[in-house]
Amino acid sequence: MIELVDLTKKFKQNEAVKNLNMFIEKGEIVGLLGPNGAGKSTAISMMSSLVEPTGGDVRFNNESILKKPAPLRKIVGMVPQEIALYDDLTAEENMQFFGRIYRLTGSALKRKTDEVLDQIGLSERRKQVVSKFSGGMKRRLNIGVAMLHDPELLIMDEPAVGIDPQSRNYILETVKRLNEERQMTVLYTSHYMEEVEFLCDRIYIMDQGNLIASGTKEEIKQILSAEKTISIKTHRLNERFIALLQETPTINRVIAGEKEVTITVPKEINMFPKLIHLAEEAELELSSVDIKNPTLEDVFLHLTGRALRD
Amino acid sequence: MIGILLSKLKMFIRNPLIFIIFTVMSIVFALVMGGSNLEGNIQIPAYAADESAKESTVGEAFNEIEGFAFNWVDEKETVEEEISNGRAEVGTILREDDFQLIVGVESPNAGTVEQMIQRAYTKKQRQEQILEAARTSGTMEADAVRTELEKAMTKPIFSMETSYFGSSDDFEFDSTFHTLFGFALFFVIYTIGYNVLPILTDKKDGLWDRMILSPVKKWEMYVANLIYSFFEGYLQVLIIFLIFRYLVGVDFNGRFAETLLLLVPYVFAIVALSILITGLVKNVQQFNALLPIISVSMAMIGGAFWPIEIVESEILLMLSKINPLTYGMEILNGAALYGYALEELMYPVSILLLMGVVFMGIGIHLMERRHV
Repeated sequence: MIELVDLTKKFKQNEAVKNLNMFIEKGEIVGLLGPNGAGKSTAISMMSSLVEPTGGDVRFNNESILKKPAPLRKIVGMVPQEIALYDDLTAEENMQFFGRIYRLTGSALKRKTDEVLDQIGLSERRKQVVSKFSGGMKRRLNIGVAMLHDPELLIMDEPAVGIDPQSRNYILETVKRLNEERQMTVLYTSHYMEEVEFLCDRIYIMDQGNLIASGTKEEIKQILSAEKTISIKTHRLNERFIALLQETPTINRVIAGEKEVTITVPKEINMFPKLIHLAEEAELELSSVDIKNPTLEDVFLHLTGRALRD
Repeated sequence: MIGILLSKLKMFIRNPLIFIIFTVMSIVFALVMGGSNLEGNIQIPAYAADESAKESTVGEAFNEIEGFAFNWVDEKETVEEEISNGRAEVGTILREDDFQLIVGVESPNAGTVEQMIQRAYTKKQRQEQILEAARTSGTMEADAVRTELEKAMTKPIFSMETSYFGSSDDFEFDSTFHTLFGFALFFVIYTIGYNVLPILTDKKDGLWDRMILSPVKKWEMYVANLIYSFFEGYLQVLIIFLIFRYLVGVDFNGRFAETLLLLVPYVFAIVALSILITGLVKNVQQFNALLPIISVSMAMIGGAFWPIEIVESEILLMLSKINPLTYGMEILNGAALYGYALEELMYPVSILLLMGVVFMGIGIHLMERRHV
């Protein structure tokens, strides 16, 4: 459906996106994962024809959109990271405004407004001005507005950022339902790996403008198939223990928190006796030691050496 | 485009505070600063200690003095009371051959009143001397002399015209018009500026991107925003002028319709200037900082706060030539105060239209290039 070929964007000295290659097939939910500043928003702006790339191409149904963006624009619904709504208008008036600019009028506009407000659970609040909405309600309306013209491709730029867990779950469920019921293709960007893990069939991971991994969830987690993650909890972590862990050659990585330390070690090694020995040496009492399955967060950590939300 | 205009109108009706604030401020400032002229003549309580003074040429002369109204009172104490209560700056007590001036507040008006009364007494004495000379020579009857004298006064052999010259160009100053036009043109910069600003915020908030992806053309988005800003700016000045015309009673010297028509190029130029400012800044904070600096500077060197004619600095006068407000004031003063025909105002109108086109072109180009 849509393909990015060696897509590059430079802003003066800063290369925001470097030779990005990715594709999205019709009907799938694709995740674009990366920390803040990874280049996700720039990539989707180029993909949706809002920003002109410095190099490379965006192809929609095998045709470049750089000179002819109209066919793509017709089928795209955009959910920007910002709340792109008029605060002084009601939910219904916002819907009608965006419906009108998509040439919806009369009964068709009314029907779509009712339908979408119902889908996003804001029918009851349709007469309320947006400035009085909670963060979660604004986010839902932000998504609803993008769905008014029945887009085939929904591009969502961190649509659930900064909201409460209930609203986030509602949004994720709505996106999943849209995909299942209407076969709507979705590109979902986030720096929350749980969202992407829950929603997406395939995932692209970006960092500092580079694509660092891509594939299905399972394929990406395979990157860590040779390693395992061990979470060690204590009542009070001390520096001596962390130093001992870091000095141990079989431990690949050590991430220390306040009361918890996470280490990554080769899968075949049994670390329990060694950990108990190190704890005794550091005069530390362990609360628990858990072996975890690798998550996307671990993959990101493995690939970049830092956490997704850093 | 209609959809954008309708939504903007709806938002305006729902939240008209900025519009109301700037409209009210324009009216209040114009009333307060130009108020002295609106109150009409300066009131002077006058008591005639000798009835003959009231009925003589002195009394007649008082009726002809412009800008001052002499109110005859029956008691001398009334004059003193009016002044001590602050209801009058100055009062007078007239006797047959001299007068007494009672001054409550030292002001230029006291000096002017004294001069005028002095002049009336001089005139009276001169007439009396003529009559006396005629009576002594015995050539004519006193009544015949008086009749001849009155005839001569109405049809003088020659007349003298006085004009003032302080600079190379003569200019007329009317504080009512000046403050009304000055403050209306000054405050409308804010109203228009804050209506153009949403282009910047809409772009930052992603609203603009949403519209770009829709079938709406980009030029329609710009035109809708500009038409709306123009409409609100024009509406503000229209309301102010209507209030002054029909409630305060400023008659615009019979050129009210022309004044409203000639506002169009100025409002257009200010919309374009706001686009340029929006194109120059990176965010709302910068816009909020820049707009007052530009508008106040424009008002100062454009003659909104004081007549441009009193500015002597060559640099400021040169800067005023690239200031839309200068031409806005020139047009409105030209129409209402000097009574120029529309053809005579084509030069400042053309300059404003040219400024509008140039500012808008540069502003939109900057916004598009920087994708702000």
